[in-house]
Amino acid sequence: MISVSKLLCDLDAEGDGLRYDAANESTKRQIRDEKQRRPVVVWNVTKQCNLYCDHCYAAADTEIADGELSTAEGKALLDDLTDYGAPVVLFSGGEPLVRQDLEELVAYANEVGVRPVLSTNGTLITEERAQSLKDAGLKYAGVSVDGLPERNDDFRGVDGAFEGAVQGIENCLNAGLKTGLRYTITERNAADLEGVVDLLTDVGVDRFCFYHLDYGGRGTEIVDADLTPEDRRQAVKRVCDMTREYHDRGEEIETLLVGNYADAAYLVEYAREHMSEAQAQRVYEYLRVNGGDPTGERVADVDYQGNVHLTQFWQGYSLGNVRDRSFGAIWEDESNPLLTALRNREEHLTGKCADCRYAEVCRGGSRLRALTVEDDLFAPDPQCYLEDEEIHGSPPFDTGESSMAGESSAD
Amino acid sequence: MEEFDHEVDAPRGATSREWEVFVREDTADPLTHVGSVSAPSADIAREQAASLFARTAVTLWLCPADETHRYQTDAATLGTGKAGDDATMSVDEMESETLRGENR
Repeated sequence: MISVSKLLCDLDAEGDGLRYDAANESTKRQIRDEKQRRPVVVWNVTKQCNLYCDHCYAAADTEIADGELSTAEGKALLDDLTDYGAPVVLFSGGEPLVRQDLEELVAYANEVGVRPVLSTNGTLITEERAQSLKDAGLKYAGVSVDGLPERNDDFRGVDGAFEGAVQGIENCLNAGLKTGLRYTITERNAADLEGVVDLLTDVGVDRFCFYHLDYGGRGTEIVDADLTPEDRRQAVKRVCDMTREYHDRGEEIETLLVGNYADAAYLVEYAREHMSEAQAQRVYEYLRVNGGDPTGERVADVDYQGNVHLTQFWQGYSLGNVRDRSFGAIWEDESNPLLTALRNREEHLTGKCADCRYAEVCRGGSRLRALTVEDDLFAPDPQCYLEDEEIHGSPPFDTGESSMAGESSAD
Repeated sequence: MEEFDHEVDAPRGATSREWEVFVREDTADPLTHVGSVSAPSADIAREQAASLFARTAVTLWLCPADETHRYQTDAATLGTGKAGDDATMSVDEMESETLRGENR
């Protein structure tokens, strides 16, 4: 995750300590006050969903699937994650609210000390469930909306899904739950981006996460609907411009880009072109500490059957199953050559990634997209939209002892 | 002597059949379990596993997860509890609970 509002507008947020080792300089209470060493864990509590979205990475369906972790097993998993030191568990699906024990699991996560957050389509968040989730200790709800009403409903396969999601968002906000938007940008909905933000800021939302399409689950079936490199660059520029415009007029929205670390390099280039060289260096230092694509390191996924994945999007391969072995044992097992290679990917990247000057802040982007499109785990990410002149040459800034990030870590 | 009398028999495989993957990186190495891939057939499982491990492995074994009996000496890692525990909504419940902005 790359916080545009933090990097371009200095907006403090609770995730700064996780993302940039910047807890010391933030005025917001932090999720962690030291650099993240354990992964944020996405837990798909169910494969079942009340909608049928075109781009669902979990290939969710309306029918319940065999082998869901029970309530008791789920609590044992949360104990396991706590013992390992996972800072955050993201309850996801399918649609997690179809599980009627969700509040019990959220409360248990809160009790044992792993921060519970939620990814949902919003359409099952009645007033009662918003309140019960708040009472259970849920810290954040991210609600997926993928365009203005007509386009969103087409994407999600159900008429009224947009209005239902907004109703769910309002119920969360009325219950006092921190709530944000999740928006997967594709060719089909890129035009709606600013319109959705305008509409939802009026409702009271102040956090907006923009996802690039990853090529997992049903996402592989709509690769053709993905943005061209030129359109992707424009969409990211529009997120940057929009964020600064909101902040310039005193509306401090939080905006984040997720799933494509070419964005890290682009943000440096953007700051250099539209702000100042000093700002560009500052952005670069933050992103260098952030460490680029988190696959297999700072993010993990446990699916509804307990299979552990390298990210939530990479459902076709599992490292192991938490019914057989603890999560920590699976995640630490570097006898697995794939895990080791991914954690040392700089040594293996090929093509333009091999000598890219932004390798330190990007780390080659999505290995899953490279695998899906090129059938080569270490080929360049097909979604990279950087121009040749931007990526050739030595690293854009000296990252010696005097760097801001280094000073921050030493404090 | 341990009896391996705890069987882990919950299903694996989210979207299609699951295949346990074993590789050897050198002929002198032991065969190592390196996870599993989802694929509808052994041929496709071989392609999937090769795309992940062919860079370094010299041997690849695939075993259908639903034919693999998993036993351990201790009780199940996550304790007990019937999978599902009727915690999930029925299709009818989902349909009737879904908001469509009626009361906005």
